[in-house]
Amino acid sequence: MTENNFWLKKIEISVSEAEKRTGRNAMNMQETYTAYLIETRSVEHSDGQSVLTDSLWRRYSEFELLRNYLLAFYPHVVVPPLPEKRAEFVWHKLSADNMDPDFVERRRIGLENFLLRLASHPILCRDKIFYLFLTQEGNWKETVNETGFQLKADSRLKALNATFRVKNPDKRFTELKHYSDELQSVISHLLRVRARVADRLYGVYKVHGNYGRVFSCMCRESCTVYRMLFLTRYASSIDDILEDEEHYADQLKEYLFYAEALRAVCRKHELMQYDLEMAAQDLASKKQQCEELATGTVRTFSLKGMTTKLFGQETPEQREARIKVLEEQISEGEQQLKSKNLEGREFVKNAWADIERFKEQKNHDLKEALISYAVMQISMCKKGIQVWTNAKECFSKM
Amino acid sequence: MSGGPPKALQSTGPHSLRDMPHPLAGSSSEEAVGGDSTPSPDLLMARSFGDKDLILPNGGTPAGTSSPASSSSLLNRLQLDDDIDGETRDLFVTVDDPKKHVCTMETYITYRITTKSTRVEFDLPEYSVRRRYQDFDWLRSKLEDSQPTHLIPPLPEKFVVKGVVDRFSEEFVETRRKALDKFLKRITDHPVLSFNEHFNIFLTAKDLNAHKKQGMALLTRVGESVKHVTGGYKLRSRPLEFAAVGDYLDTFALKLGTVDRIAQRIIKEEIEYLVELREYGPVYSTWSALEGELSEPLEGVSACIGNCSTALEELTDDMTEDFLPVLREYILYADSMKGVLKKRDQVQAEYESKLEAAALRNEDRPKVPADVEKCQDRMECFNADLKADMDRWQNNKRQDFRQLLLGMADKNIQYYEKCLMAWESIIPLLQERQETK
Repeated sequence: MTENNFWLKKIEISVSEAEKRTGRNAMNMQETYTAYLIETRSVEHSDGQSVLTDSLWRRYSEFELLRNYLLAFYPHVVVPPLPEKRAEFVWHKLSADNMDPDFVERRRIGLENFLLRLASHPILCRDKIFYLFLTQEGNWKETVNETGFQLKADSRLKALNATFRVKNPDKRFTELKHYSDELQSVISHLLRVRARVADRLYGVYKVHGNYGRVFSCMCRESCTVYRMLFLTRYASSIDDILEDEEHYADQLKEYLFYAEALRAVCRKHELMQYDLEMAAQDLASKKQQCEELATGTVRTFSLKGMTTKLFGQETPEQREARIKVLEEQISEGEQQLKSKNLEGREFVKNAWADIERFKEQKNHDLKEALISYAVMQISMCKKGIQVWTNAKECFSKM
Repeated sequence: MSGGPPKALQSTGPHSLRDMPHPLAGSSSEEAVGGDSTPSPDLLMARSFGDKDLILPNGGTPAGTSSPASSSSLLNRLQLDDDIDGETRDLFVTVDDPKKHVCTMETYITYRITTKSTRVEFDLPEYSVRRRYQDFDWLRSKLEDSQPTHLIPPLPEKFVVKGVVDRFSEEFVETRRKALDKFLKRITDHPVLSFNEHFNIFLTAKDLNAHKKQGMALLTRVGESVKHVTGGYKLRSRPLEFAAVGDYLDTFALKLGTVDRIAQRIIKEEIEYLVELREYGPVYSTWSALEGELSEPLEGVSACIGNCSTALEELTDDMTEDFLPVLREYILYADSMKGVLKKRDQVQAEYESKLEAAALRNEDRPKVPADVEKCQDRMECFNADLKADMDRWQNNKRQDFRQLLLGMADKNIQYYEKCLMAWESIIPLLQERQETK
């Protein structure tokens, strides 16, 4: 499933359209949902021309299925997150309705981004299920379920247990977990406040529109009237400005959700480490039992020791039999421990490599986001200066 | 404070009605603007003397002249240079140096009034006295009583009702000082009011309270007689020019009220925006502490937002301190002018009814009785005074508003320029590391 490279040529993926559909859900009730058109093109190296190779429709829940599959089969990878299921961090003008065209549009962009991230990931891009997601419309869901990924996925309860009880996790993972918690908290806060700032800024611009109307009644010459109307146009420019800012918010949101993906990798490590520790502990106790039986000394309190004292000792044959069983178990256990250790180390190595890749990506992406945010602010300031300079010209002619 | 001697205004006293050009002459019937069906007199483009004679603003300290480099003070200087009038000002009055006085009964603020004059009415060339708001209030009511045919400039509001405003805060005191300074300068500019005895006493007396107690009745002839005009005379009709003025004032007050409300609303919205910005910036700082390579860029963004917040705060402070008070002052001005118009109506009504009564009594006698003639005089004087004052007011108002609006535009431009600078300076910081990678 994982080692093939299905992409013989460079490909371009786009989620080009979104369409409202009605259908019947699992309980045979009518529902409305949005379907997204995914187009895949292969690019000829020589002339850069692209040819449409595949095109199919998928809905959000199928994207979720794909991601859950990837999480189960690639626990050492920081799996890219999906765009939000429901609109959050909205300011008053944005709708929180999933069917709202603006929300659908932003989700379309988010889903495209998700697929692009997968395609550019060195490990994930080679996955067969991902390939089929883009190329096989019918029967894909069944194919995914057949992989048995649900069984492979670790139970949340088990993971929680491990988190609390693990004794010696790799320090880097502990730090990473801490970081992702803080990152999630700070970006959430940022998005909340930004939404409020957008709200207020909107209010300021709209009230300036009222100025425009009053002044245009106050002035005589038609050209100054026209120029006073700029204040009304100034007021309406805020809609575009804030739409651009939503794009910035979406970029931040992606990394907010990435924090959860980071935590998932840390949890897997803790689980494996805990498993290892438990296996080692089990092995140690078995060895001790064996020793005690062999030498006849009881170093620690044991139930067997008690029952022996109460009900009489066992026969030498019985003891021999037990020692033999234990020795077999010990040998098995040592094998298992060795392989678990190996597994653990492999995991840490691979996971950490992907984490380093992720860090580079994050620094690059967020810097780009900040730059484009600054550029937006600069453009807004320049517009403001222009508007008020025009106003000044107007006023000086009075 | 604007330097150099500002010039006195052109009209220097009551003229006969026949000599004076109609103040509203030359203004064509108002065109409807932007779908407005009722032709409204233009708020800001009075066509009276203004165009050919450059009449200076009332030499006061309008908003924005506190910093010498502000464009509105540059505007002042330009006007001084262009002045073609030959008259030299001989009376200068300034209000400054507010001080708090704490007494057992009350706490209050006094302002220093400095007067410099070469006029014979003043014994000394220079005076410096301290006055409190009550004293200004006294002066104004004395002026209203003694010069009822003239427009008396308004005082800033006596009581501050809005919210919990600290009467002793620096901003409030400064705003008030500016308004009081303007008040005195407007009187100083007035060719009749500036010679008023009460004004003189206000500027010079060591102990004003003693004068107040004497309750001096230094009323001019006109003033006295106007005082005796009781109500109850019905006015047939206002002369066209005064009717137009009345309508104009109504519209003006209305529009001004709207502008005031919108301005207040804008300031309120901006302050709420500021509150959120002040929380927004620091979050980037918090984030910066978590990161390695992103630490500097994020910290930079945080600082940037902080600078924008400060710039916004400066803008809202300026608007509150300089813009709003002037608007309110003109609303008060318009109100007091309507009061004077009504008084004028009374005088005219008295004259008309006395004339009518005389006509009924003496059908064949051509000579008009003395008291009716007196009424006629009174009315004509009133009309002349009022007209002159209206012209003066129109010009001052045009200058004041032009300066006000220019100042507002300037402040906004400065705000955006500060923000622009902050964001532009951070771009290299954000880009830098990427290039060295």
